[in-house]
Formats: sequence, structure tokens, C-alpha cells
Amino acid sequence: MRRIITMALALCLLGGGALMAAPTTVTMMQLKVEIKDALDNYAAKYSAAHPGVTVSVETLGGGADFGGAIKAKIQAGQMPDIFVIEGQGQYNVFKDYIADLSDQPWVKDTDLAFKQNGKVYGFPVSIEGYGLAYNADILKKAGVDPASLTTRAAYEKAFAKIDGMKKALGLDAVVAMAASVSGGMWWVAGQHNLAAYWGGGLAADDTSVIQKALKGQVDDARFLQYAKYVQLLFKYADKNILLNGSYDNQVGSFAQGKTAFLHQGNWVDPNMKQLGVTFKMGYAPHAFLDTVEKGLYLFAPSWYCVNPKSPNAAAAKAFLASIAMTPDGQDYMVNQAGMIPAFKSVKLQPKGQLSQALMAANAKGGNYGVFFGMLPDGAGQNVFGPIYDLFAQNPDNIDQFVSDMKKAIAGLPKM
Amino acid sequence: MQRHSLTKALFVLPCLLAFVMVMLVPFFYGLFYSLTDWNGVSDSINFIGFAHFGRVFTQPGFLYSFLVTIAYTAINVVLVNVVGFALALLVTGNLRFRNFYRAGFFAPYLIGGIVLGYIWQFIFNNAVPALGAALASQSMQVSLLSRADAVIWAMSAVNTWQYAGYVMLIFIAAIQAIPVSLMEAAKIDGAGYFRRVTRILIPMTANAFTITLFLTLTTSFKQYDMNFTLTRGGPAARFLDQPVNASQLLAMNIFNTAQANHMAEAQAKAVILFVALVVVSLVQVSINKRKEVEQ
Repeated sequence: MRRIITMALALCLLGGGALMAAPTTVTMMQLKVEIKDALDNYAAKYSAAHPGVTVSVETLGGGADFGGAIKAKIQAGQMPDIFVIEGQGQYNVFKDYIADLSDQPWVKDTDLAFKQNGKVYGFPVSIEGYGLAYNADILKKAGVDPASLTTRAAYEKAFAKIDGMKKALGLDAVVAMAASVSGGMWWVAGQHNLAAYWGGGLAADDTSVIQKALKGQVDDARFLQYAKYVQLLFKYADKNILLNGSYDNQVGSFAQGKTAFLHQGNWVDPNMKQLGVTFKMGYAPHAFLDTVEKGLYLFAPSWYCVNPKSPNAAAAKAFLASIAMTPDGQDYMVNQAGMIPAFKSVKLQPKGQLSQALMAANAKGGNYGVFFGMLPDGAGQNVFGPIYDLFAQNPDNIDQFVSDMKKAIAGLPKM
Repeated sequence: MQRHSLTKALFVLPCLLAFVMVMLVPFFYGLFYSLTDWNGVSDSINFIGFAHFGRVFTQPGFLYSFLVTIAYTAINVVLVNVVGFALALLVTGNLRFRNFYRAGFFAPYLIGGIVLGYIWQFIFNNAVPALGAALASQSMQVSLLSRADAVIWAMSAVNTWQYAGYVMLIFIAAIQAIPVSLMEAAKIDGAGYFRRVTRILIPMTANAFTITLFLTLTTSFKQYDMNFTLTRGGPAARFLDQPVNASQLLAMNIFNTAQANHMAEAQAKAVILFVALVVVSLVQVSINKRKEVEQ
């Protein structure tokens, strides 16, 4: 008996000793399913090149409740060293677990880091962006010059013209836009489209309109112009896709050439490749104002944050820096993961047509900021979602839409 | 004797421990959090009393979810039990291949709610409108799932399709337990089929009704999975002059609230759901118990 106890003790000691010498394992939790393989490979490569450090990545996404999963990890005492936030709301929730990254080498190389009171807290995962994607072949056949689409009046004319030629062009409808609660597509309208009202036509860092909204106020003249633009999109949208279509229905319709415009961002590039799209496409601005707008909407959809309570925080920071600053890391971002890097020194070009259009727009400048991340959590899904759904059911009732939205915005400070 | 009861206690302990840890403790934690402003992460938890309970009843979205859940439950309790009982009568009669039918009617229950929701979403959104186009029927071309007035009926139909077979099995067992002599005696006395069903079958299967009503009531009240995959709460409707989600049942309302980092408020809603469910099911069981016949 005594021998067994001695053996067990010895084993424990051995085990303990082995643990002490064990390499640092940086744990990372992220939510982009589409880059899982690329990121896993990069992490393996990084681990191989850095003896003593292992990076292990856990991917959770595809509509999974990422915030909830992180909360569960915190409760279990297994908070990852690197995790993702998607905006102000999540920053507020997780701020006890977010390190100051202001001293990191990549900070000077990007405009899109997550900042709070002048300090940097988040590493921008990528640039995403959108305008109104168009099928260049269809527009050419219809005789519409996409470069002319810079005001709402121009859109009205172009939509009417294409609508009149639907049969000849083989179209179901002019626009593929989804806005329904039932299709799970409230975010196309309630986040991305509404972002035009928050930031369209303003300087990229001008948050005055959304700041006003967070105090419950609406810029009436500006909002009316925006509402007319939404009405225009809804009137010319494919009704089935608008009222209960899913992401696949919406993107599929555009990819099959059954609609001329698509209200989605550059994240559809991989879908386009899968669906074997060969036609040319590009982005036109969401020009909702009476005055000319030429910019697209560019933003970092999410940021990597480092958990300062972890003993591995330094190793985690080094891993993030390697993504931004090393050729291998940049190759991973652009070529392997197909993302548009948020760092200005990166010279590589993404492959997707829409991503290229965004990168060109980014280089040209004059784009608009995307600020829906500043709204209280749940505003998009629980408040704006049903309002757009209702407007889509009856796009003639623009007064109702305006009054619903004003009421909803007035309620924002209390959320 | 002393030793004996210790053994008993030890045998009960694992179960008791599991029950306490995964049921009782979280339950009381939940009650506690519903009285705080906790967001799910923060270390600072402030006690705010019943503020959430007062507030949620001023939210049109929550009130609507509550009402629509009651309506959905009422429709389901009737539909599932009527259809289930009818099926049970059918397959306990003199039918050829009746075992095949029993298995067939039961099969939908074996498909999970998630898969089932997607299948029926396809049927409602694609198959029926395509059929409507072929038949040139205008009303069929609009998906039932995008009509605010029809959507909970569509959900109830799917739910009935799923649960009727299960309820049928319970009824079959109850019907087969009725002594054959009773039915034969009634037949000889000249009672028709309808009279035999209403006067003998239904009273004699009252205990089965207690179970099936309870099951349909509680499952409909707590419905989430099929709700999520079939409609996600949509389409929107207007209630108390505010846009709400026409088919958002209580469970989904609670989940969406929690997802928006209003953990404590969601917990308060969950407590309300719990209380409502306990009250309704206690009333139902006590009424049903009175109707049961001692055999």
C-alpha cells in the first residue's frame, strides 16, 4: 500500500514537473467559419516556427451564439487568450477581459483598430464593406452606366428602365434584397442598409448622426431621403426574397443572373466562386441622398482582443502582431483566408471581384464609416428588424415606416 | 437499522447530488439573477428588486409573445389531441396493415424539431407556391409563413404533424386496456359506433387524456426549436402600435433578450414563463383528474 502511495506521489511530482516545463499554449476563439482552415494552418505554422508556443484555435460560428459561448467560457474559468468582439456593445460587456493594445507595432499601420478614449483595444480582423453590387453584364445590356448611379434620382431612373426590360434580360426582379425576420435576414436592412443613414455622405469618422440617435433624436430631412431610398429598393426587390428569402435565396438569385443588383457585402465572393459566376460585377454606392454620393461603406466587422488576466497575454499579443507584420501573416490574411487586410502596408491583392472593388475604393478614398456597432445590443434584431419587415410587406406606407423608426430611435437611450 | 438507512442514503446520494446541482441550484440562482441587473459577465451585480418584472409587462413585444404563445398552445392542445385520438381510433379498428400505419404516423416524432422546421419551411416557401403557380391560384402563391394572420396556424399544423403520432401511441395503449367485454356488451345492447366512442371509449381513456393534454400543453408552451427553424419569429405584425414579431413565442423572446446581453431581464421573463406554466398545468391536471374513471 505504502509503495503505491509513494509511486502515485512520484508520478504526481513528475507530472507537475512536466507541466511546469510545458510550452505556452495560446488559446484563441473566433467566429469566422469561412477562414477556419486558413487560420488553423497559420496557427500550426506559427507554432512550428516558435518553439515553446502553441496556438490553438477554436472556431464557433455560422449563426452560433458567440457572445453566449464566451460567457460560458468565463463562467467555466476557461476564458480564451484571444477572442473576438463585434462592436461597442460587446466591448461594454467584456471590458474587464480586454487588454490595452496601444503599444503594439501594428497600431500605426491601420485606421480601423477598435479604440476607446484614445486607447487601442482591438486588432481589426479584416476590412469588409459593401455598396449595391451590380451585374455589369446586365447593366451593359440594359444601357445603364453604373458610374452614373450616384443619386437616388439616378437609381429611380435606372431601376425603372431595367424593370421595363425584365423579360428581355431574363430577370425575375431588379434587386435581390432580403429584409425578413423569417429568413433571418433582418441584418441586411436593420444593420447594413440603415448604416447608410448613420454614415452615408459624411466623412468616414463623422459619427454625429448616430450620436444624435443614441440620444434619441432623428435628423428629419435626412431620414426622409433615406426612407425614400429604402422604399425604392423594396419596390423593385424580388418579393419572395424580400419577404421570406434566406441568404442563399438572395445570393443565389443574383448569381444566377435573375436579378441585376445585390444588397450584400464582399463576403459573398466565396459564394460567387462556389456558384460558378462568370459575369463581371462591381459596387455602386448606396446613394440615398438628393446630393451626389460616391463612396462605399468600409468597416472592420470584428476585432481580436487579448485577455489581460491570462498569463499568456504577451504570447497572444506576439501572435496577433505576426499576422499583421510578417509576410507569412499577410499571406494568410489575403491569399489563404481571402480577406481584405486592414493594414496599409500590405500590398497583396484579394481574388474576389467584389473584394477587389472594395480595395480599389479604399485606395481611392472618400468612403463612409459603418457605425451600427455603436448601437445598444439587440437594437438591430429586436427593434429595427420587425420595422423593416413590416415596411417590406407594405412599401407604400412610408409615413408609417418613418414614424416607427422615429419612435424606435427615441427609445434607444433607454435600451 | 442505523446501518441500513445509511446505505439507503448513500444510494440516493448520487441522484440527489445531480438533481441539486443541475436543477435546484441553477433554479434558485435564476430566481436570484432575475432580481438583479446582471449582464451575464460583469462582476458587479446590483439588486434591483422586481423592476424587471414590472418593465417587461410594458413591452409590447413581450406581451405579444405571451399572448401568441397562449393562442398557439390552445390551438395545439386541441389539434394534436383530436388528430391523435382520431388516428388511434383508426389504427385500433379493423384495418389492414394497421401496424404499418402506426409506425408511419409515429415516424414524424422521430425527426428532430430542427430538421423538421427546415423541411416544412421549404414546403411552405417553395413547394406550395410552386403548386399555386401551376394551379394559377393566387392565394397559394403567398407563403403562409409570410402572412402574420396565418403563421401560427402553419406552425400548429407542423407541430400536429410531429406530435399527433406520439399522442396516438398513448391513446392506443389506453384503448387496448379497455376490457373487450365492455365494448361488446354495448354493441349487443344496440349502441352505435359513435355512441360507443363518446360513452365508453372517451371516459375510459380519461387518464390518457390527462397525460396527453399535459404533454401537449407543456411542449407547446416551451416550443423553441421548430419556431426557430420554421419562422424565426417572423413575419412582423403591428401590436399596440408597435412592430412585433408575429410568431415569436415566449421561449424565443427570452432567448433573444438574453442574446442582447439583457441576461437578468431574460431571466425574469423565464421566471414568468415558469410560473405561468406551473399554474396552467396544475389547473389542467386537477380538472382532468376529476374526470378519470376508476377501473
